[in-house]
Amino acid sequence: MHHLSLQPNPLPDPNSANIGEPEQTKSSKLWLDSAMRIVKSKTSFIGLCIILILILTAILAPIIATNSPTDQDIINRYQPPSSEHFLGTDELGRDIFSRIVYGSRISIQIGVIAVGIAMIIGVLLGGIAGYFGRWIDQIIMRIIDIMMAFPSILLAIALVAVLGPGLTNAMIAVGIVGIPQFARIVRSAVLSIKETEYIEAAKSIGAKNGRVLMQHVLPNCVAPIIVQTTLSIGTAILDAAGLSFLGLGAQPPTPEWGAMLSDGQAAIQNAPWVVAFPGLAIFFVVLGFNLLGDGLRDALDPRLKQ
Amino acid sequence: MKKRNLLALFSLLFAIVLFVSACSDDANSTDSDSDANANDDDQATEEASGEKTLIFGRGADSIQLDPSKVTDGESIYVTNQIYDTLVRYKEENTEVKPALATEWTPSEDGLTWTFKLRDDVKFHDGTDFTAEDVVYNFERWATSAEYIYYGYMFGASEDDLGGIIEKVEATGDYEVKFTLSEPNAPFLQTLAMPPFGIASPDAIKEHGEDYFKNPVGTGPFVFEEWVPDDSITVTKNENYFGEVANVDKVIFRTIPDNGARFMELQSGSIDMMTGLNPQDIQTAESDENLQIIRRPSMNVSYMAMNTGKEGPMSEKLVRQAINLAIDKEKLITLYEGIGKAAKNPIPPSLWGYNDEIEDYGYDVEKAKALLAEAGYADGFDITLYTFANPRPYMPQPKVTAQAIQEMLKEVNINVEIIENDWDTHLSVTENGEHDMAFLGWTGDNGDPDNFLYVLLDKDNAKMGSAGNIAFYKSDEVHDLLKEAQTEMDQEKRTELYLKAQELIHEDAPWFPIAHTTPPIAASKKVVDYVPHPTGSEPFNLLDIKQ
Repeated sequence: MHHLSLQPNPLPDPNSANIGEPEQTKSSKLWLDSAMRIVKSKTSFIGLCIILILILTAILAPIIATNSPTDQDIINRYQPPSSEHFLGTDELGRDIFSRIVYGSRISIQIGVIAVGIAMIIGVLLGGIAGYFGRWIDQIIMRIIDIMMAFPSILLAIALVAVLGPGLTNAMIAVGIVGIPQFARIVRSAVLSIKETEYIEAAKSIGAKNGRVLMQHVLPNCVAPIIVQTTLSIGTAILDAAGLSFLGLGAQPPTPEWGAMLSDGQAAIQNAPWVVAFPGLAIFFVVLGFNLLGDGLRDALDPRLKQ
Repeated sequence: MKKRNLLALFSLLFAIVLFVSACSDDANSTDSDSDANANDDDQATEEASGEKTLIFGRGADSIQLDPSKVTDGESIYVTNQIYDTLVRYKEENTEVKPALATEWTPSEDGLTWTFKLRDDVKFHDGTDFTAEDVVYNFERWATSAEYIYYGYMFGASEDDLGGIIEKVEATGDYEVKFTLSEPNAPFLQTLAMPPFGIASPDAIKEHGEDYFKNPVGTGPFVFEEWVPDDSITVTKNENYFGEVANVDKVIFRTIPDNGARFMELQSGSIDMMTGLNPQDIQTAESDENLQIIRRPSMNVSYMAMNTGKEGPMSEKLVRQAINLAIDKEKLITLYEGIGKAAKNPIPPSLWGYNDEIEDYGYDVEKAKALLAEAGYADGFDITLYTFANPRPYMPQPKVTAQAIQEMLKEVNINVEIIENDWDTHLSVTENGEHDMAFLGWTGDNGDPDNFLYVLLDKDNAKMGSAGNIAFYKSDEVHDLLKEAQTEMDQEKRTELYLKAQELIHEDAPWFPIAHTTPPIAASKKVVDYVPHPTGSEPFNLLDIKQ
């Protein structure tokens, strides 16, 4: 039975001998299987829920938020949580609940853009390194090794120091820091894929290197890339929050969670809610992405299938 | 990958409890410190070694320990222990008393001053203190514009490095004579300022460029060690000619975070601290081991508007509009009761304060009208430079900046906040990189001249060493201030300063923010501590009770 798959990058069964034209039903079944496994696994389901809540919060921020995230009410600063201010007010009398709600938009923005940068560059570098091998591989992977030698947050701080503080630069820095992970994972996937018969077949009918890499090799690395992307988003949000905490990321009055932590720390003894809630927000979002990432990995790895 | 996730989670948890963990880390490390240093935590050790150590916590390190080259309070705090000036201020006010000089006589015309010096003083390096050393120091300060305070106080500039001091000569082993080119009313008061501490010429010659790390004076404490951004240690000068210190050692510790510093005070690993979070004052007052000591108010905090920079800030109407657009009463609540709203550049505790002046008040509509008149109805983008650490006159610079940012949004002024370290902030604002910048001033000598001339005279609006970071250059104000310097009659001087304040109010180079009574939190074991209005004091009179 032939029907058009809705999946943009159908994943071939590694055991299939079909060349670049995987059997549709099998592929769909694999995806369905994976989706089922994610929903069935408690932990990854929780992760999925957290992320859905985050996304809904970001989309509906103006409806959910009770106040403007930047409106100050200096006289009423450091108000404890109440029915008027669900999570209390901060050092300038801003509504913490509203700031966290709007902050979710920034976190998603950071996650998507930073990981997007890391993924695009990382996948390309890793693909090229793995596919062409030899000296190209050597050069790219040694650079990647050098980048990995730095603790990620330190490298990000150094990059922001060069680029100048600000949310955009923080996203770029976090993105660059994420490149090595993608490059490594993609390279190792490419190394095994390029030896398969369907690649050999593609080459033998005269497909150029670029076409083979882009059309046949990389689409088959999608599973590990998805897993890595999900896990990276959590790390990226955490790193960006760290940069903002140090004053290198989001600049006031942006309601970024890390910056909120930093601004509130002066009052931790007298008004602990000012730091507790942004901290919890970061905690849950990163937890969500990590749980989902783990779940995805388990789900997409056919070797774990019984 | 599992490991990595765990790691991420752990670092996340770490971020949440960052503060707590940082504190406990600090507490641990200082516990071991205090054991070694015989801090009051550990009385047994203390009595065994018989040493009394005062540990003073503050938000930023000193920049240099050569007071003639600095203007910041954190440097002066330490140099005030190491150096003596010819005359010193009395314990609680800015009247002068003998120090290195025992008596002094001005000439009739106020142009020459003769000082008789003590003959029993030795520098910490063992050399004798004589009139030649005074001459050496004054001549040194007149060799370069980097001796900032000399320039501020004596009108020296690149073209005229000596300023109003024409000659300093030794008229005997222990007598020194100053010849001035014009009378200077605050002259004696000025000589008591810590920047004019007399340093050992031998040490200056020996260390050259590095002298600021190896200060040698005659003061009640001897410099021992400086670990940058960590601590400065001074020990008691047993041979001090004045009152020999009660404590054996003073350690100035830099603890940037207000909250962490306060927790150290609560846990007893430091004895005293400045830069209290305003909201911690109550906590300290209700703590039976702690006391709050309030420094008499002689300061001002302000937001300078860089009139020298092309663009909106050079327009008087815009500056007035900004004064109208900020709700000062609300802003001042961020000071949690330690500050009063300011309308003049000089504090009301000083003579010559013009109370007739009516502050701009908060009026957004009027501000908008003025902006429209100046051609900025649609607003503009602007920078506000601020600093990371608290200052006695501004306990929460970042929060204050954010409040102003929000208020100016009402009149379509879009403020970008640029936060720098304390010493970076000083140098970038002295260079005039800012549109608007926070700063403050603690009076040095109890004379209005020390505020108005230093902070708002065109003589001090020089790029690179500006005290006048509004780069406000009014000839009228300059003439009034110069006249007030040379006029010896205080009533006439008062008149001149009243007038100068009117002109400054009209031109609005500043948005004056507050005058504070800076709180100092200390352990109750610290006794006889009298904070001086000028912002620092020698610690030889205070004591630690067992």
